[in-house]
Amino acid sequence: MYNGLSFEQAPPISAVMRFFLTVPIFGIMLTLLVGFHPDEILIASHPLSLASIHVMFLGVITMAMFGALFQMQSVLGGCSIPNAAGNAFLIHLFLSIGTLSLGSAFLFVSPPLFVVAAVFLGSSILYTAKLILPLLFRGSSHDTLRGMKIALICLAIVVLLGIVMASEYANETFGSLHEAIRTIHYSFGLIGWIAVLIIAVAFQVVEMFYVTAPYSSWCKRYGLLIIAVSLGLKAFWTLLSLPFVWMFDALIGALLIGFIATTMKRLLNRKRRVSDVSIWFWFFGIGLLFVSLSAYTIYSLSGIELFQPMALVAFALFALSIILGMIGKIVPFLIWFHLNAAGYMDTPIMSNIITHTRAKLLFVLFVSTALFTLVGSLYHPFLSIGAIMGSAMFALLLYNIFTALALYAHTVRFGVRFDCDTEIR
Amino acid sequence: MILEFMRDDHRACDDFYAKAENALSAKEVDNAKEFFETFYRVTNHHFDMEERELFIAFEQRTGMTGGPTQMMRYEHQQLRSLLESMKSALNENRHNDFFGIGESMMIMLQQHNMKEEQMLYPMMDRALEDSAEGMIQKLREMAK
Repeated sequence: MYNGLSFEQAPPISAVMRFFLTVPIFGIMLTLLVGFHPDEILIASHPLSLASIHVMFLGVITMAMFGALFQMQSVLGGCSIPNAAGNAFLIHLFLSIGTLSLGSAFLFVSPPLFVVAAVFLGSSILYTAKLILPLLFRGSSHDTLRGMKIALICLAIVVLLGIVMASEYANETFGSLHEAIRTIHYSFGLIGWIAVLIIAVAFQVVEMFYVTAPYSSWCKRYGLLIIAVSLGLKAFWTLLSLPFVWMFDALIGALLIGFIATTMKRLLNRKRRVSDVSIWFWFFGIGLLFVSLSAYTIYSLSGIELFQPMALVAFALFALSIILGMIGKIVPFLIWFHLNAAGYMDTPIMSNIITHTRAKLLFVLFVSTALFTLVGSLYHPFLSIGAIMGSAMFALLLYNIFTALALYAHTVRFGVRFDCDTEIR
Repeated sequence: MILEFMRDDHRACDDFYAKAENALSAKEVDNAKEFFETFYRVTNHHFDMEERELFIAFEQRTGMTGGPTQMMRYEHQQLRSLLESMKSALNENRHNDFFGIGESMMIMLQQHNMKEEQMLYPMMDRALEDSAEGMIQKLREMAK
């Protein structure tokens, strides 16, 4: 129960880094898809659009969140994931194969690949939920842990519905509930998995790392619960084709606006005023969430189709912004932490692992990618420029992670170690 | 009860660090040194409160001597070492080193605080329920 309290029980560096290292690789694949097919990518239900969406949400966002979960579980959950290295290897391998298969299945309209994707993604994600959820239900509980539980349960629902839809694609026959299942699938994925996990983590991270006023305890206790209940009711309403289903979207939207306002207020009034790229990613990400909600509201009220893809693109960029800010901190920290804990005397400080210049350049490239992609969702020629910017951004992310790992490997191989007997070898 | 008291103390320590960091980035070196000195003192005092009173009472009540409290002591040692490095960097005017080490220290300190606030202090509140008020009084007196 108390394993997570030990630094020695922290997951091995490979368990976390394999996920982070794969993020930019899928990111580059995504930008290639967008760059070469800017006109088809935003057409709803087009194979290229579906391939891109799944590469983005599985290969980039879920991949990064799984890496973060492996790291956070021991800190926030109170006990580390058993056999973290072996489990991370399998989950990562299956998630990568599953994402590639699903992307290819949509691209090449290949029924057998949908089966392969369902097997690998189902195994990877359901196994992750089965591995982590019991740990979260054990021992003490707090608001962030409750959010993590909701997020993982929603993810399990997303993948189960995904398997149902994959079997429909594999058989090339679609049941009468296909549209309803699709709506529930993406609602639980976007809100239940991604938004809930980010909000739950924000409740801890924003207050503690930027030294801000705490979020209200009502917000922390009931906000995510109301989102979860709204999602459940929305699913029920959708399956039975009941009227006024929009009221659940409105309720969730209002809670997300509340999150935007309270987080912005806290970040603006934070006590740590030192300029830090991670805070820029938070500000920009929160702004993107606002753009996403605004675009979705305009689409819902006016029915102008253009705003629907814009809402989805802005939401994906919101999640990516928070993820990039997190990776920029967690990667150098993990390198420093593992070398320092192993007693290497020449352990580099964090700012020498990923320099401030490269961290700022990544932010500039991300902002350019986001702006061109958002404008491109309304006026397609800009999408290609967004894709070029995105390729450069993911290439720099890959370089940052790769050089950090190279520095780690170099220090482990040639570094001078200080052991318990104060002998230097 | 213990949770609230110790969590407030964590936040008070963080405030001094934020002030030191803000002052140094505004090139107010003397203010930065003063705030960091206070942060250094109150953080070490916080560790002392835990190690000399709280952990011992918890261990005596539960019999858990090799569990979470032992791990927290280990983390205190690591954090103390980082605080010393930061103090040297500040006194020797190696400001980039101060910020660089501070980045790691802050992440490590906040992870440590999260573990205490989410697991250890609630466990202590349960274990020491009848004597928690007396314990807090004792901790308050340590500050005098």
